[in-house]
Amino acid sequence: MIIFDKYTKAYLLLITLTIFAYTLGKFELMNKTFFIILIITTFIKGSMVIDYFMELKEVSLKYRSIPMIWLFVILSGITLGYYF
Amino acid sequence: MKKENLNYPPGDAGIWIIIYIELITFGLFFLGYIYSRRLDVELFNSSQLALNQTAGFINTIILITSSFFVIKAVKAIQTYDTKQASIIATRWLNGAIGLGSIFLVIKMSEFIAKYGEGINLSTNKFFMFYFLLTMFHFLHVLLGMIILFNIKEKTKIQGYNKNDLKGMQTGASYWHMVDLLWIVLFPLIYIIR
Repeated sequence: MIIFDKYTKAYLLLITLTIFAYTLGKFELMNKTFFIILIITTFIKGSMVIDYFMELKEVSLKYRSIPMIWLFVILSGITLGYYF
Repeated sequence: MKKENLNYPPGDAGIWIIIYIELITFGLFFLGYIYSRRLDVELFNSSQLALNQTAGFINTIILITSSFFVIKAVKAIQTYDTKQASIIATRWLNGAIGLGSIFLVIKMSEFIAKYGEGINLSTNKFFMFYFLLTMFHFLHVLLGMIILFNIKEKTKIQGYNKNDLKGMQTGASYWHMVDLLWIVLFPLIYIIR
């Protein structure tokens, strides 16, 4: 049985969610539901990079919260700008 | 592990100030794009059709994989003894640099294709944002690759070890920021309509 470390797991999740996003765009599946799912999956992808690649998961919350808040604000802005 | 490593981000404190400033700068561009799109949704949607989604997708996979290779290089230095770590980390970094080069080639071919079609910065507001955002990001990838190359050269001569890898972590953090920016840029510019 292959046991992946946390970085490999994060990487595989990032690749999977990227394929999902591409599928939505390529096959013109974008509707309100898929849009919300895409925004959530993009947030998850960003969090993976921040927590595991940038290694901010274990550091003081004030350092980790800056990119997390940035990600939340940008994706909220996209959501508000596109659907409200 | 030293106690301070649990509290502070990896790498030099200065790079984190740069990273936070870069995130804010790109963030303002993203919000500007969203606001401009609201004023002319049809124009943005129709212009977006001219983009090559597959190229954007491949480049996303490339940057994510490159970022993964960089963290594997950092972990190799932290895990193995100096000589073995240098060999393993150099391989990972070579892979990351190679992928970064492919990213630049694909992006450049996209730019050339668009110019060939007579599309440029002044075509309309969508393409103004498209070129500004992606070219600005392109320059960050280029700078990131120069940084990675220097880290690789130092790694090759066993310049980093378990107790001294701050320089490597500094460069790695910058590269991951470039990846993070593209993760938001890809759906915003290529996918969402």
